[in-house]
Amino acid sequence: MRHGGVTKFSFQNLFGPIIIISALTFFVGRTSASLQLITQFTLCYFMMVLALQVFVGNSGVLSFGHGSFALIGSYISGMLTAPINIKGHALAMNQLWQALVPLHTNIYLALLISAIISAFFAALTGSLLMRLSGLSAGIATFALLGVTYNVFFNNKRIGPGSQALPAVPTISNTYILLLLAALAIVVVYLFNISSLGRTLIATREDAMAAPALGINIYRVRLIAFTLSGFLAGLSGGMYVHVAGTFQVQDYYLEFTFLTLSMLIIGGSASLWGALLGTIVISTIGQLLLMMEQDLPIFGIHAHIPEGSRAVIIAVAFVAVLLWRSSGIANGKEFSIPTFWRK
Amino acid sequence: MNKKAFQADQVSKSFGALRVLDNVSITINPGEVVGLLGPNGAGKSTFINILAGYERQDGGTVTIDGHPLDGLSPSARAKLGVARTFQSGRLFSKLTVAENVALGAIGLGNSAKVAKERTQSILEILGIEKLSPYQAESISHGNARLVGLARAVAAHPEYLIMDEPAAGLNEDEAPRLIHALESVTKNIGCGMLLVEHNVKLVTDACSRVIVLATGTLIFDGDPHEALKHEEVKSAYLGNAGVH
Ligand SMILES: Nc1ncnc2c1ncn2[C@@H]1O[C@H](COP(=O)(O)OP(=O)(O)OP(=O)(O)O)[C@@H](O)[C@H]1O
Ligand SMILES: [Mg+2]
Repeated sequence: MRHGGVTKFSFQNLFGPIIIISALTFFVGRTSASLQLITQFTLCYFMMVLALQVFVGNSGVLSFGHGSFALIGSYISGMLTAPINIKGHALAMNQLWQALVPLHTNIYLALLISAIISAFFAALTGSLLMRLSGLSAGIATFALLGVTYNVFFNNKRIGPGSQALPAVPTISNTYILLLLAALAIVVVYLFNISSLGRTLIATREDAMAAPALGINIYRVRLIAFTLSGFLAGLSGGMYVHVAGTFQVQDYYLEFTFLTLSMLIIGGSASLWGALLGTIVISTIGQLLLMMEQDLPIFGIHAHIPEGSRAVIIAVAFVAVLLWRSSGIANGKEFSIPTFWRK
Repeated sequence: MNKKAFQADQVSKSFGALRVLDNVSITINPGEVVGLLGPNGAGKSTFINILAGYERQDGGTVTIDGHPLDGLSPSARAKLGVARTFQSGRLFSKLTVAENVALGAIGLGNSAKVAKERTQSILEILGIEKLSPYQAESISHGNARLVGLARAVAAHPEYLIMDEPAAGLNEDEAPRLIHALESVTKNIGCGMLLVEHNVKLVTDACSRVIVLATGTLIFDGDPHEALKHEEVKSAYLGNAGVH
């Protein structure tokens, strides 16, 4: 980067998002205990949206399969940190394969291991999936999600099956989650401006012209899918240490749909879009949830029927796809002048 | 076999019952600029798609430096020195002009540093260095054609295949393209196959011309001779008109 890559490094593109996410975490997280928890979950979702941005945003290939990597990351980090006596004796775990009971490590090592194994799983599945594009890629990644979910949901030899693994230790310090998110921003930004990142974007822009330049589309997609799997695994790992329990259902359709909406609504082509989408959808989602529960928002009660939240987010998702497919950020990275003009 | 040359030997191709190419053989020598003329539907695009690996021939073989390329993907052929441009430009619209051109070098595994240097020098040679920071989708059609050429040239190919580089250019832009092609020949020295409808451009830029008519090669030789050739006149120039 020192002598300058092809794409110029920009301080504001990188540090704008870091400063914004830090400020939000700092101010919102301190307001109340419930907002602190919401902030923590939002940081986990953001990690997932970053994972999706790296692959889906840059390659233009839709993936419904990333929940698999989050699930595996969550499962591994949860299993490696839950107390041994819980794994050995909890009712939900009574059929667990005995060899898995004594495996134990601290949260941070567990997070690293879970991300690495998720990346490995992404590389393995990607070696087949990356041969597909367009609709068939969407369907095949969706099938991957279904397979992973069903294996974990039904197999009580490897985990809690349809029940929950309780007593997973939590990360109570929000700033640790923030630090992980900031590190991920740096990694994703550097990837996006690297030669490899630009090559991937080229394959998205014109999959016919790219091979004429010697670009191997399969190879660049596979590398991005693997990095993306690492981040998705980390997101699942963070999530399990915020929730305090591991549950297979947490990483299925709702999770997949919510995080993809965040990416698409924010604007999938940029890191800034990923952050904007996460912030906007989390905020709106939270307000709608409060309205569903008839809680006052700044003293005002505005009740909406239960389930409205999911419907409204879905409608927003479709509206963006129809009328502004490049999302709120419209492919742009964060920069001060455009930010003020808006 | 002519060492180092880019050759097609007895290449045939049919789409269903339609025979688009019938035993077409050509040789392009290193550094040679060859024009490929032919009326609409003669099989020119199909032929260069076969050369670049975008289409598979039914019979015959394509070689570079004596190595057969049959069955190799477009990206594998690019690595062996075959570059191409497209009839419709096909730039990466959300990337800048500089990034587009740099990818020509990066795609073959060159470092970002090398890519950057090549980009700068090629854009200077073509006189469009001012366009570097602009998004490819924002530049004019004429400039986009030059950027497409620059991107292909950034690979430093042995052979460059161009599908109608002058299509859609106006009277001011066409001479710029001819000038650009001359600069590329002088600076990079790659062999070229130039598919064109513009007879003047072909006679100006090429040292040899090949004429296809309904899938058959009917002429291979001096461009000025081609204009006088009876069969060529009736097949092509007769209906396209000599400009
Ligand atoms: N994929 C295809 N399937 C069926 N027929 C095709 C296909 N591609 C080309 N053809 C036919 O093959 C013939 C040659 O087409 P080609 O595009 O190679 O001609 P061309 O010389 O490049 O013409 P132009 O000057 O119009 O670009 C045409 O009759 C065309 O309709
Ligand atoms: Mg054509």
